[in-house]
Amino acid sequence: MIEREEIVPGPLNKVELLEPLLTLDKVCQEFPLNNGVKVPVLKDLSLTIMDIRSKPQIVSILGPSGIGKTTILRIIAGLDRPTSGKVLITEEVTNNLREVKVGDVGVVFQKYPLFDDLTVLDNLIQPAIRVAKLDSKTARERALEYLDKFGLFQHSLSWPVQLSGGQRQRVAILQQLITGKHFIILDEPFSGLDPVSINNVIKLIVDIANQHTLNTFIIITHDVTSALIVSDHIYLLGREVNEKNEPIPGAKIVKEYDLIAEGLAYHSDIEDLPRFIKIRKEIKAEIFPKL
Amino acid sequence: MSIDESKKSNNQSNPIKETFRVYGEVSTFVRANLFGIWILLFLGLWLLSVALRNNMSATMTSTQLLDNWLYNLVRPFPSPGEVLDALYKMWSKHQLLSHVWSTIKLNIVGLLYSTVISLVISYSSVIPIFQPFNRFVKLLRYIPFIGFTLIFFSLFTIGWPTKVAMLTTGMTFFLVTSMTDAVSAIPRMKYELAKVLGYNDWQIFYNVVVRPTLPQMIDMVAQNAAIGWIMITSIETYSRNEKGIGTQIYAYYSTNNLPEVYGLLLIIGIIALVEDGLFSFLKRYLFPYSVIAERG
Repeated sequence: MIEREEIVPGPLNKVELLEPLLTLDKVCQEFPLNNGVKVPVLKDLSLTIMDIRSKPQIVSILGPSGIGKTTILRIIAGLDRPTSGKVLITEEVTNNLREVKVGDVGVVFQKYPLFDDLTVLDNLIQPAIRVAKLDSKTARERALEYLDKFGLFQHSLSWPVQLSGGQRQRVAILQQLITGKHFIILDEPFSGLDPVSINNVIKLIVDIANQHTLNTFIIITHDVTSALIVSDHIYLLGREVNEKNEPIPGAKIVKEYDLIAEGLAYHSDIEDLPRFIKIRKEIKAEIFPKL
Repeated sequence: MSIDESKKSNNQSNPIKETFRVYGEVSTFVRANLFGIWILLFLGLWLLSVALRNNMSATMTSTQLLDNWLYNLVRPFPSPGEVLDALYKMWSKHQLLSHVWSTIKLNIVGLLYSTVISLVISYSSVIPIFQPFNRFVKLLRYIPFIGFTLIFFSLFTIGWPTKVAMLTTGMTFFLVTSMTDAVSAIPRMKYELAKVLGYNDWQIFYNVVVRPTLPQMIDMVAQNAAIGWIMITSIETYSRNEKGIGTQIYAYYSTNNLPEVYGLLLIIGIIALVEDGLFSFLKRYLFPYSVIAERG
């Protein structure tokens, strides 16, 4: 059981919302099928992630497989441009809202790609030098500190191919953090894991998020329970239905849950709370209607 | 039997099983023996064909079709003794070492030039403006070599410069093809990792394109070095008054001195074995992770 209140102390239900950190404004994305017909994957998708004072935050975008979760990830990361609509991000220094560009948001991809020709330590040092412009001594010290803190010290000189999936995941997250990014998006971090490993990953994400008050993690997942445990805020991705109850192509945010307001954030043993069970049931009915 | 004992007995190697098992681990002992067996098999076949030839030439009648066919098949093979004699004669009287060194030198220089040129052309294939040129160079490997000889003869002095130019060009066509394939095989995710980390174009070029593919490039050079040896013999015949294994093979072949020809081919085989070993060592030494990654 993850006890978030131990990690992030703070009063329940009283979080001051500041300016928007990231805004998706009527984002549409279309892809051509093999027969040339263009099919909308995202349609007028809008959401705003607000900054919360003096706290890191974890936001989840929940949806079933094939709904377009990875498409959103790629658009937020600036890897793909939407067919229409905008993704705006607040610049950390000037606080100005501007269009996102690749490199603004850190991404932890599903298969945790790393630089396979560099040791684990160099996988952290090199981005720190190249992107965060740290001098090599500071970069090395910080990399070793991270590796030590997250149980990877003895793997410092291993090659990425020698790591387990969980270890790769940790290095991949740390690699994004060490470049100084506070906005990190994680693609299906609980995918294919057993319950014990899922708990470890939840703890890891919370631990890493809590390294800095400015950290904002966006988790893209289909795992309702894990998303509810780890998040402060959840956006549900779904499709609207027509009068015949058939889904209309193009996903959008169909519902959102402010788990801070619901009293389900920064709380221990939340899985046992009746409100948690109710919301979980509600979300499952919403995104997996046939189950 | 305890669990430990049963495990042990399961792990105990049975050389026969190991030899025929699909995708199994093979012990050094079995591997060494298999290597020895194949050498013995090769020598055995060689000696058998020589014995067959000697025996048949005495007893054969021209009406026996099978005899004729077999005789024609084994006739060109000199015996191991004849080949060794020929090698000794070439070494003591005909400057064998100097010929071998001349060819090795040509091979090294050609390989070096073509590797550098091919690396530049292949790596530049990630930049759109160079892609058509890369495609053109790859297509040139289909063009018969005679198409280039006249250009080389007018551009370079006949002799060493022409030979180097020919070998370099010939190998470059093939090397560019394999090296570009290695560059195209870089997964999109690796580029995207570097992009989201915030690497600029040059950093992506070095960290995603160049550095991680270097071990594969050694493999590509090792594979294409063999093509170099096939070319060398014909290239050397363009300037026959110079030294080289190719000129020697040509000279001995045209005067029907087959023991010498096979002796020289044997030397090429030994050089190839050493060359392959050197490339493999280089890869293991410079890029240890690539060997671990291949083992899985």
